Parts: sequence; C-alpha cells; structure tokens
Amino acid sequence: MRAERSPDQDDPHVRAAQEARLREVWAPPRGFFLRWTDVNNTAVGVWYTLTAIAMLLFAGCLALVIRAQLAFPGSELVSASTFNQLFTLHGSVMMFLFAVPIFEAVSILLLPQLLGARDLPFPRLSAFGYWSFVVGSVFVAGSIFFDAAPDGGWFMYPPLTTEPTRTGIGADIWMLGLSFIEVAAIAAAIELIVGVLKCRPPGMRLNLMPLYAWYVLVVAVMILFAFPPLIAGDVLFELERLLDWPFFDASRGGDPLLWQHLFWIFGHPEVYIIFLPSVALFAMIVPTFARRHLLGYPWIVLAAVGTGFLSFGLWVHHMFTTGLPSISLAFFSAASEAVVIPTGVQIFVFIATLWAGRVIWSTPLLFGAGALAIFVVGGLTGVMVAIAPFDWQAHDTYFIVAHLHYVLIGGAVLPLFAGLYYYWPMVTGKKLSDRLGRLAFWMIFVGFNVAFFPMHIAGLAGMPRRVFTYPEGIGLDLLNLLSSVGAFVLAAGIAVVLVDLMLSPRRARCARNPWNAGTLEWLARPEESWGVRSVPLVESRYPLWDQPGFVARHDEGRFFLPDAEEGKRELMISSVLDAKPLQVGRIGGPTATPLLAALTLGGVFILTTFHLWLAAAVSGVLALGVILWWLWTGTSIVPEKETKHAGHGVVLPLYSSGPVSPGWWAMFITMTADATAFASLVFGYFFYFTVHAEFPPAAAPGLTGPGVFWPMAALGLFVLGWAATVGAREANARARVGAARALLTLAAAATFAGGLAGLAGPWSSGLAPTAHVYPAIVWVLAIWMAAHAAIGVIMQLYVLARSAAGRLTPVYDGDARNVALYMHFVAISAAVTFAVIAFFPELAA
Amino acid sequence: MTASLARKIVPGTNFREKRAWHEFLRKVCLARIFVPMLVGGCGHVQSTFTTFGYEAERFRVLALWMFVGAALITAAVLALAAYAVRRDEGIDHRRGMRLVLWLGGIGPTLLLTALLLASLPQMRPLAAPAGTLTIAVDGEQFWWRVVYERADGEPVETANEIRVPVGRTAKFALDSPDVIHSFWIPGLAGKVDMIPGRTNELVALATAPGRFRGACAEFCGPSHALMAFDVVAMEPDAFDAWLGELARPAADVDGRGRALFDEYGCAGCHVIRGHFAGTPIGPDLTHYASRATLAAGTLPMSVDATSRFIRAPRDVKPGSRMPSFRNMPGDDADAIAAYLLELD
Amino acid sequence: MSALYERAQRMRSTLWALILPPTIWAAHFLFCYVFAALYCAKAGTFAPLGVVRAAIALATAAALGVVLAAGFVAWAKSRIPGDPPPHDESTDEDRVRFLATATLLLAALSFVAIVFTAIPALMFEDCR
Repeated sequence: MRAERSPDQDDPHVRAAQEARLREVWAPPRGFFLRWTDVNNTAVGVWYTLTAIAMLLFAGCLALVIRAQLAFPGSELVSASTFNQLFTLHGSVMMFLFAVPIFEAVSILLLPQLLGARDLPFPRLSAFGYWSFVVGSVFVAGSIFFDAAPDGGWFMYPPLTTEPTRTGIGADIWMLGLSFIEVAAIAAAIELIVGVLKCRPPGMRLNLMPLYAWYVLVVAVMILFAFPPLIAGDVLFELERLLDWPFFDASRGGDPLLWQHLFWIFGHPEVYIIFLPSVALFAMIVPTFARRHLLGYPWIVLAAVGTGFLSFGLWVHHMFTTGLPSISLAFFSAASEAVVIPTGVQIFVFIATLWAGRVIWSTPLLFGAGALAIFVVGGLTGVMVAIAPFDWQAHDTYFIVAHLHYVLIGGAVLPLFAGLYYYWPMVTGKKLSDRLGRLAFWMIFVGFNVAFFPMHIAGLAGMPRRVFTYPEGIGLDLLNLLSSVGAFVLAAGIAVVLVDLMLSPRRARCARNPWNAGTLEWLARPEESWGVRSVPLVESRYPLWDQPGFVARHDEGRFFLPDAEEGKRELMISSVLDAKPLQVGRIGGPTATPLLAALTLGGVFILTTFHLWLAAAVSGVLALGVILWWLWTGTSIVPEKETKHAGHGVVLPLYSSGPVSPGWWAMFITMTADATAFASLVFGYFFYFTVHAEFPPAAAPGLTGPGVFWPMAALGLFVLGWAATVGAREANARARVGAARALLTLAAAATFAGGLAGLAGPWSSGLAPTAHVYPAIVWVLAIWMAAHAAIGVIMQLYVLARSAAGRLTPVYDGDARNVALYMHFVAISAAVTFAVIAFFPELAA
Repeated sequence: MTASLARKIVPGTNFREKRAWHEFLRKVCLARIFVPMLVGGCGHVQSTFTTFGYEAERFRVLALWMFVGAALITAAVLALAAYAVRRDEGIDHRRGMRLVLWLGGIGPTLLLTALLLASLPQMRPLAAPAGTLTIAVDGEQFWWRVVYERADGEPVETANEIRVPVGRTAKFALDSPDVIHSFWIPGLAGKVDMIPGRTNELVALATAPGRFRGACAEFCGPSHALMAFDVVAMEPDAFDAWLGELARPAADVDGRGRALFDEYGCAGCHVIRGHFAGTPIGPDLTHYASRATLAAGTLPMSVDATSRFIRAPRDVKPGSRMPSFRNMPGDDADAIAAYLLELD
Repeated sequence: MSALYERAQRMRSTLWALILPPTIWAAHFLFCYVFAALYCAKAGTFAPLGVVRAAIALATAAALGVVLAAGFVAWAKSRIPGDPPPHDESTDEDRVRFLATATLLLAALSFVAIVFTAIPALMFEDCR
C-alpha cells in the first residue's frame, strides 16, 4: 500500500513519468474510423464548431439567393415555392443549426479550460449531442436539394403548416429534424450546469468564477425551461400531421394560438440563449485588452441572471397583433421594456472597464466594438417594437427583419468572430492574421449596415416579411437594391475570414498566451489533449496575472491530480459555493456508443418522417439497446478502491451517489426539462378551457371521458410503483438486498399496470381523438404517462439487473438513487395528470 | 367638417395643423391618379408614413420621437465608448460603479418608465358605438372577401377592395376560413391577424381621402406576396352613394361573354348578383370593373390581364385555389374578360 | 432594526437566495397574466376589469414586500465587515459579500420589473 503523500514534483523524472501516463490516458484514438469515437472535449468541440460554422455558411448562401431575388421588383430568379423554402430554411438553419449549436460547441471547447478541468463531466453525452446535431443538420439542410425543405417560415404557424394535403413533407422534416437539436440542447444543459457548479478547481469560489461560466450556467438553466415547451408543441404538431388530431384545427375545437404560445415561450428565451453566451465571450475579451480586471463583476451576474429570468416574460410580444386583450399585451410590453435594463448594464460594464484600463487594440477587440455598436442599435429598435402600438405597424414587416439581424449579428455573430480571433491561438497555437481580420471586419461592418439599415425603412414603407417579390413604384425599389448590395459585401467579408482560417496551417506558431490574458484557459497547450497539466488551486479571478509563479507551478504538476496512476481519465469534483474538493470523478474514454446512439435514435425520427413505421420501431429498439449498453458499461462503475490521493494531502472518494453526485444531478436536470414539457401539455389542456365556452364539450359519443375510476386506479398504481422504488432504494442502502430486489419487481409490475390503467381511461370511455381537441389532449396526457411508465419499468428492471450482477451494492447505489429520483417526478406528473383528467370535467360542469 | 367631427370622436386632437401639409402631399398624389396606374403606383400608397387614419397618425408621432431618441442615445453611447477607450486608467473602481449604476441602471429605468406611461394609453382601442359601420373581411388564400353590413338593408359582398368614409369610425370584423392572414392598411392603422376560429376587430378612423393600398402581413402560402388590396377613403356622402351602387345588382350586360361565363362553370365559384346566383366560394364579381386592380392587387384592371388570369391563374398567383383553364381558347377568355370589364 | 440587521447578516447565503427575487417577479407576472387572461376569456370583451385590478394590486403589494425583505437581507449581508468591493478575494466573507451584492442588485431589478408589470393594471378599463 502506497503512502498517501504527494509525489516529489521537484524530480524531473517523476514529472516526465506523470506526463507520459497523462498523455497515454488522454490520447485521442487514431485511425480512419476510430478517430470518430473520440469523446474528449478538445476534439468534439472542434468538430462541433466546424459543423456549426458550415451551417452558418450554408444558411448565408441561402440568404444571398434571397437577396438576389429581392434586388429588383418582380424578379423571377427563383419561383415562389423555392423562395419560401429558402427563407424558411435560412431562418431555421441559422437559429437551430447554427446559433444554438455554436454556443454548445464553444462551451464544450472552452469551459473545461476556463475551469482548469480536463474535460466536461459527461464527455460521451457531449459526443452524443454532437452526433445528434450532425444527423439532424444533414437531414434538415439537405432537404432543399430534394425540393422538400420546409416552407412555412421558421416558426411554422399552423394551420398553414399542419394540413398534410397543403404542405409537403417539409414540415415533418423541420419538426423531426429539429428534435435532434432539442436533444442536443438538453444534453448541453446537463453538461454545463454540472460542469460549472461541480467541476471547478479548488478555491474557485462563486465570486472567482470566470464570467463566461456564469453566463453559460444561466443559459443552461434557461434551456431547461425554454426548449421543453417547443418539444411539447412539436409533439402536438406531429400528432396533428400524422394522425389528424386537431390541436390547431379550429373547426374541431383546436386553436392555432396554442402553437404560437408554446413556440414563443421557447422562442423568446431562445434568442437570449443565443445572445448571452456570445456576450460572455466579450466579457472574457475586454479585460485582456483593457489590461485590468473587469469592473463590475456582480453587475454582470445581475445582467445574466436578470436577463435569463425576464426573458421568459416576453413571449406574447411576438403575438401583439393576434387580438388578445390589451391588458394582457401590456404585461408583455412592460416586461419587454424591463429586460432592456439588465441587457444595457453589460454595455456600461464593458465601457467602464475600458475606461478604467489601458486599452490595447487588437482584431478581437475590433470585432467586439463593432458588435456592440450594432447591438446598441438593435436593442433600441427592440425598445421600439416592445411598445405594442409601434409593433402593430412594424410587426411582420422588414422592420422586424432589420431589428432581429441587428441584435443577432451584433449580439451573437460578431462576438463569435471576436471569440474566433481571440481563441484561435488557444486551440491551434497560431494567431490569425490581423491584416485580414481588419479587412474582414470593415467589409462585414459596412456591408451589414448597408444591407440591414434600409430594411427598417422598407418595413415601415410597407414591405411585409416573407415576400418573394414586391410591387414596383411604391417606394421599396432602391431600399431593396441597397440591401442586396450590402448583403454581398457582408458575404465577401465573411469569405475573407474563411480565407484567413484556411491560411492558418501555413503560419508560424505563436507564443503561449499571446494576448497575455489572465484567466485559466490560457494554460492550454494545443499539442496536449489533457486540458491541464494539473488542476490548479485558484485564489483570484485572474490567476495568471495575480498568482505569482502560477503557470510554472501548473506546468510542473505542483497542483492537484498531476498524474494518472490508475490509467483512468479523472476530474476534480468540488462543492457548489466554495469549490471545496469533494471527489475524484472518473469519466469515459473513446467509445462508439454515442455515435451509435445518435444514429439509431436519429433513425427513429427520420423513418417516422417518411411514415416507415416498422423500420422506425426497429431503430427505436436498437437505440434502446445501445443506450442500455452505454449505461451498463460506462456509468456508476464501482471503483477499484474507495479513495484516492489527489495531491497535497487531500484524499478524496472515487464514487458518490445521491444529491452530491454528478449522475444524480444529471437525472434531476433532465427531469426538470421533462417536467417543463409535461407542464406545457397541461397548459395546453387548460388553454383550450379558456378559449371555449364549454370545455370539456357537451356530452356526446367520443367526446366524453375518461371518467374517474381508471385515472384513479392508474394513480394508485403509479404511487405504488413510486413507493416500491423508494422502498427498494432504502432497503438496498440498509443491505436488505433481497427485499430491495423484490420491491423493484413489485415496482416494475405496478408501474407497468399504472401505464396501462392510464390508457384504459380514454380507451374504455371511447374518447375519439380525431373528433375534437378534448379527446385528443386527454389521450396525449395518458400516452405521456404511459411512455414515462415504460421508461420507469425499464429503469427499475435495469437496477434489478445491476443488483443481480453485483454492479449495484448497498454502498455503491447510484443507480438506485437516480431511478428513485426519476420516480419522484413521475409520481408528481401522475398525480397532476390523473387528477386533472378525472376531476376537471366535474369541476367545469 | 371632418376635423370637427373627428375632434368629437377623439377629443383634444387638432387635425388642422397636421392636415395642412397632408393636403400638400395629397395633392401631389392626386395629380397622379389619372395616370394609368401600375400596381401600387401613385407613390408610397402602402407606407406607414403616408397617413390617412387616426391610429396611423399617432403611430407616426410616436415613431418620430423614438427614432430621434434612439439616434441620440446611440450617438451618445458610441461617443462615450470611443472616449473611454482613449483614456488610460481614466476612472477608478468607485466611479466606474457609479457610471454603471446611473447609465446602465437608473437612467434606463427612468426613461423606460416614462416610455411605458406615455405609450400604454395608446393601446386603448377607439370607441365603436352602436351603429358604427361594420365591414367583415375574411382573408382567404390569396384574396379578400369583404362584406359591408348595412343598417338599412342586406349586407353587400365584394372582394379585394375596401372603401371607408372619412371622419366616420369603421369597425372591421376580421376572420379567416383557412390559414392565418393579417389585415394591414399601413396608412390607416396597425395590423390585426385573421385567425381561423376567432373574429378579431379593428376599429379605425380615416381622416383624409385618397387611394391607398393594404397587404396581407402574415405568411399564408405561396402567394402571400401577391395578396394586397386597394383602399379608398372617400368623403361621407360619396361613400354612402358608392355603397348604394355596390348594393345594386350587376349592370345589365348580355352577350357571348356572359354565356361563356355560364358554360365554363364560373358560377360554380363566383357570384354576379342579378346574373348568376352562384356559390360564393371565390371572389364576388358583381362590380368587378369598378376595382382598380385584379387578383388582389396583383395586376392592373384590364381585359388582357383578366383574360390571362382566367386561363392560367396559378401562373399569376402560385398556389391559387382557382383551377386553370389552359385549354380555353384565347377568344373565349377575352370574351369573358370583356364581359367582366363591363360590370362596373 | 439593528437586531434585524444583525440577524440578516448571519443568514445562510446560497444560490437559491440569489434567485429568490426574480422568482418572485416570475410568480407575480404569471399570476397577473393568467388571472387577467382567464377573466377576460370567460367574462367577455367588454367586462370591466375592477376585480382584476384589485387582485393585481394585492399581488403586487405582496411581491414587492417579499422582494424588499430579500433585498434588505442581501444589503445587510453585503456589508459584512471586511475589505471593500470588488469582492474578489478567495475567502468565505468575500464570497458571501459577492453573492449578497448580486442578490441585492437582482432585488432592485425585480422590484422595478414588478412595478412595470403592475402599470398596465392602471391603464385599462375593460378586456378589449
């Protein structure tokens, strides 16, 4: 048994041996096929970034065709049908396949470095998110080459988009293709929350955390509450298209406005999900070029958290013209104005920092400055359209197109370019060209303003959105021509950036930390895959500036976890508030399971789009198999010893379960997203109540149900299943393994029966989902519970199998705790679902 | 007279001053009415700045204030940023925090509060007392069904053109049987969506006569860009006279065109009151020739354009619900078109 | 008052405390919107809004009260004796002071946002 003492870091041989072991453990897989099984954030982050940039360029080319068509009135460059696919795909690809993925990509690449960590806590989950994104991107973006692209606008309002006879397969491609992105986003949210809160280096208390980490934490939490309403909406949308369930069909009790609510409850936070991480890059860039600490750290936290919350109170400002009562609209007008305050605070923090510092110009700062200038204009037009009477003229015109491009390009794209120029040396070891960068910037800046400023005027001069042409002589001709010229200049500027990127391999290496920045990510060495040589002890917001000898100590392995003695990839898990070391976390190495899971799950969505039900079901079974294999071989692994020496006398456990463990957090986070989607469906039920004088509708065959008996029976069974699962967890923890296994069996049986009983309610009362929206929404809720029951049963049986195989013990019981957590959420949803569908009809009568 | 009437409806607003230079613009525009119009000609007839309505005028004032304010704020922030960059260590931590507090926090809060208090009252709709002229408009793919309710008589249906009396409030009842459209007359008022399953209302007050244009402002399918309508604001007496004319059945016209209209089954979708009872699936054609444009603002009214449209409606308007009559001989189409052009 | 101040200074500061003020805003906002929407949907377009305004007034008073209290606690905690801002030392006190400052700022923002939400209740007489 080795003594728990720090190794002798003064000895160069010891250090070299450590480095060799670290390199071996973190080595990327090689080979034509095997290289794609890599899960290290340095690899996945690069692939993700390049794929997202490819989507940017693709959508940008679509925009150039749009502008070419609109340069002259009455142009026939493309047909109306093609044009409608072009603008729909431009918007959808930019929003779903570029803007959100690029933030995920940059975070995957950057966050571990910023936190002095070797990787994110769930690398295979990131890889799975990436491969899902690739499958979805190819599917959605490729559709235009088959004239099958979605063509209803990027927010796809029904009823235009739900009637299968009037629309092609494009709407299904949009819906199902975007399911991947939703999956990838939830995966990213899990990574980022757990990463920021639990994987910080010792000493990096919350008040020392890099601001980028604060921003992405807020954004990750926003994703949990913003994406699920869209998922719920997608479920209803697809059910209407595939099975004719009338959620948005007014003739059968549905309402197109429900889609608008669900979409924009997602859509508005979504734009802040896009904006905040980009501004976060700027928060990392400004201090470096002002050569001082950022002035106003708590204000940035205010800005990020405040914007995150307030952004959820804005959604109806996209619906100002739908005829809702003025008082309702006014609430959203007020909140839309309120959100300007935290948004603007950031700008003044940056200005104050620059003022208090000694500014040195650089290409990243130039891009950032241009970004801010454009964003200020966009923000101010946002203040305008937040006022409903103004929006009643501006809505759905080119004024909005101008506004959104000013905020998105100013707030998201240009800061990304700033980040590109800034972080390129961190990733590749080379700087990009300042000369080309400046040229590109000015072309982009001028081209952008020439393209988009006239659109403010064109919109108010009467040009609606999404028009493939416009009449000559009503004042739109010159404005459109200007916009088209500007667009091509903008595109040329982006081309210059591309040229710069492509010339990079030829350039000489630059110094490490060429900008002389102060934060941890600049410890990186591009030639190493290990992230950090040792996990540092942090005592300042800018350790590279403030802590003497910091870089040397890090390089010589004098901090924590300088070695990989057991040949495993390891992370430091620390406490939420003060980053006290809690555990050494073991994470997975290269494996094909994320890729296979993404392909098989992707197969389910893609095959369903083409109505190939059997093949989709087979793909689903395969996906389940891959996921179970992944879980079985790669999670909750019983370690070979209980504790490990992490350095400097600190001995930490190698395993944790329950509320301190990352796995439990991942389950909690996933279930929060799941609960939000469920809440959105319940919202749908009550929404229909508000828009109908009588809901549920008057008693009639097919419209009445589900009664009280079956829902209550189902509830009882779910509660039994939940209690048995919790009981099993407790029995196992008390080493009563036999009892635990019996309880798990009971739990599985009860949960299974509960799911069936839940379906029996609508089934036995003959609710006909195609007849009216009431039966349809009841069926959806019952099916939701049944699906969750099925997943619950699989999980309970999985835990049973783990116990039987000795991979779950009274001490190492992570799986049991996680499944119990799942069942808590299921029990709550069961209580809500069955109480509502059983008793609300009585109440409303 | 109009101004005093308007002042009764909206107390406290002085229309006279604004009208002075409105008149000038109007005269410039009017002079061009007699020139054969290209679709949408006569200058900026679809612009929010060419106002002829109460709400649009209020919007313009609001917009002007906000644009000036935004320009000033942008210039100030950029100037501050430029100055800040040049000054080395120009402020310390405490001053910096005060800058952020006042310029980022307190200042915007005060400005936004003022903006909200000033603008929210503008959300109150105009009053529409009993007896207000009601115009029911249905947005359909890709045209406008317009029905004027009359206090003394049957409702009158027409299509693709809307006329309103100056100085009298009009209430639009907006609906759609198919997909979401949006009803927008930029010079008159803000837009209101037409959503299947609900009827939305827009109460508007025209304040000056003239010819203008409205458009669909919610993407509704392939020909969304080609779904516009003519708007005419008329003095009240002229409007009453016009509505009376509209209520009358079609002009007494006979001939080959009328017979062909029957033969080709056009009455299966189009009503021409007095000639063909028809089923009102498509636009009402009773006073077709009185409109300035056809196909919902897409083409100028003429025999040639009508003939072209009849034979190949989907060439003019992709996705149109009207079936094509490609095999119809040119002569027949011209004859039907000539007949329709006599229905004024 | 100073007893309260001292008690406030001793309270635990966590991330949950940080998000309490904006959560109150969210709850208040949701209440105002849902109440008004349900009322207008069921009572009709010309229904008078007296009941809604009263409810919003009560909810606003309650929400502002809680936010003020949270802000007071945060203010007290941000002034725990120690070094002046910026609170960027790696000590427990600085972490507490920082979280408290951020919470105080969020409380101020939430206060403004709650007032903004309540303003519409003053402006409209009916459900049009």
